[in-house]
Amino acid sequence: MGIPVALVSAIYDLALTTGANRVVRGCRIEHVCGNPALGPDKDREYGLQIIRTALRALTTAVTGPTLFDPAHDEEARHAS
Amino acid sequence: MRLELGTFPVRDARFGARTRWSDGVLEIDREAALAAVREDGLVASARLELARPGESVRIWPVRDVVEPRVKVEGPGVTYPGWFGRSIETVGRGRTHRLSGLGVLEVSSVNWHDAGGDFVDQYIDMSGPWAELIPESKLVNVCLVVEPDPAIDIHSQNEVVHRATLAVADHLAGAVRDLTPPESQTFELPPAPGLPGVVYIQCVHSPQAMSHSEHTFCTGTYGMTRLTPPWLVHPNEILDGALSGPYRTMFATSWTVMNNPLLLDLYRRHGKTLAFLGVIVFRTEWTTQHEKDLMAEQAAKLAKMLGAEGALVTWDAGGNEYIEVVHTVRACERLGIKTVFLTSEDNPEGGAPSLLKPLPEADAIVTTGFFNASLLDLGLMPPVERVIGYGTKGAGSAEDATILMRGDVDAQGAIPPPWRYDDHYGFNRLSSFAY
Repeated sequence: MGIPVALVSAIYDLALTTGANRVVRGCRIEHVCGNPALGPDKDREYGLQIIRTALRALTTAVTGPTLFDPAHDEEARHAS
Repeated sequence: MRLELGTFPVRDARFGARTRWSDGVLEIDREAALAAVREDGLVASARLELARPGESVRIWPVRDVVEPRVKVEGPGVTYPGWFGRSIETVGRGRTHRLSGLGVLEVSSVNWHDAGGDFVDQYIDMSGPWAELIPESKLVNVCLVVEPDPAIDIHSQNEVVHRATLAVADHLAGAVRDLTPPESQTFELPPAPGLPGVVYIQCVHSPQAMSHSEHTFCTGTYGMTRLTPPWLVHPNEILDGALSGPYRTMFATSWTVMNNPLLLDLYRRHGKTLAFLGVIVFRTEWTTQHEKDLMAEQAAKLAKMLGAEGALVTWDAGGNEYIEVVHTVRACERLGIKTVFLTSEDNPEGGAPSLLKPLPEADAIVTTGFFNASLLDLGLMPPVERVIGYGTKGAGSAEDATILMRGDVDAQGAIPPPWRYDDHYGFNRLSSFAY
């Protein structure tokens, strides 16, 4: 069974080809889980969305390396 | 674009009353060369020393090696663009060079203070490390220079490299008005019927990690920031348009200018191929999106030039591999046969020795291991004389990054610098397949 892992990565393509099963699209190498250019409030919202997507990835069954994109994860956005 | 390159070979150098070249011997007026350096009021200290091949000498730390070249005819200046030097396009007319000679940039100034990168390269003039480093075979004029410590780290980098170019200019000036004993013409006339080949030279940008667009690195006309691919004529490179200090002895100004791959493509032009030009590809973009965009654009440029073949090299490690190998893939997808020269990572635990093997990258030339510790060289033997600094960071080759804070005697037996990344194929190491 093992422990499910979600990997947040700015260079997600590399994570996918090296065999990570649940890869979450991060922002940039310099700031993977946030974007300081957004200002404190929006940055927090964006970071939270990445984390929510990562948590949803953990509970999602996958058959192979799969990319989860926080920008297109409405389900995670409305989770609390 | 036609460039005549006049060569003045140097087999020995010595300090003397005036700077002049005669029959392979360069006499250097040490005070005049240092006066050129001290014209910059931000230079705090500077001295010059000589190191010859075979001597028991270690130079530590080395930031760059520059071959003195001077523009005799035609537009612009050699090493253009750096710190206000002319940005006029170079590569035409006549240039004179002192071959077999290097001006070594020796300084404790670190690349930047954002962490992660440290000055850690040294050159031995004899012994096992000297055998592996091309610049150890040069007669080296070592400039040990320190800037005003009150200025910021980026300005310190500027002062140090400007001082190196001042020495190179001073020395090259000695052969400006002489008739070169050897001369070679570089131009790329049409070569119909032969397959077109481009050279895609990937060079690191320090911008993302140093948080500066203006710090150290191989610059294109002095510019080091992250920019989309540039098309340059190989003659521009011969005039120093791609040059600057860097973190490895295999991507100094000297190695970029004397790159055997570049010179061999030139030799084959009109015989077996048509050399179409060089695409200078800046690396260390920090999103997947940017990396893939630059790879696509580099391949598109190659296709528009009519390339049927491409050679790809890079000068870094880590995540930059992605835009580089995706460029190989993008070229292959456009029908351009592509060869990739690279050093390999440690294949620890059975992992591939390349970060991301791609089926399209089906022609790879290995130039050895990136990490010098895998060469099993042991410690480099003690030397009689150190030029530069007497102490060095302690520890294994992997953590040689502690730089000047170390308390190890630089004269003693020490590990080799950690990088052995022969980007352009200077050496002829062989390997065994297990």
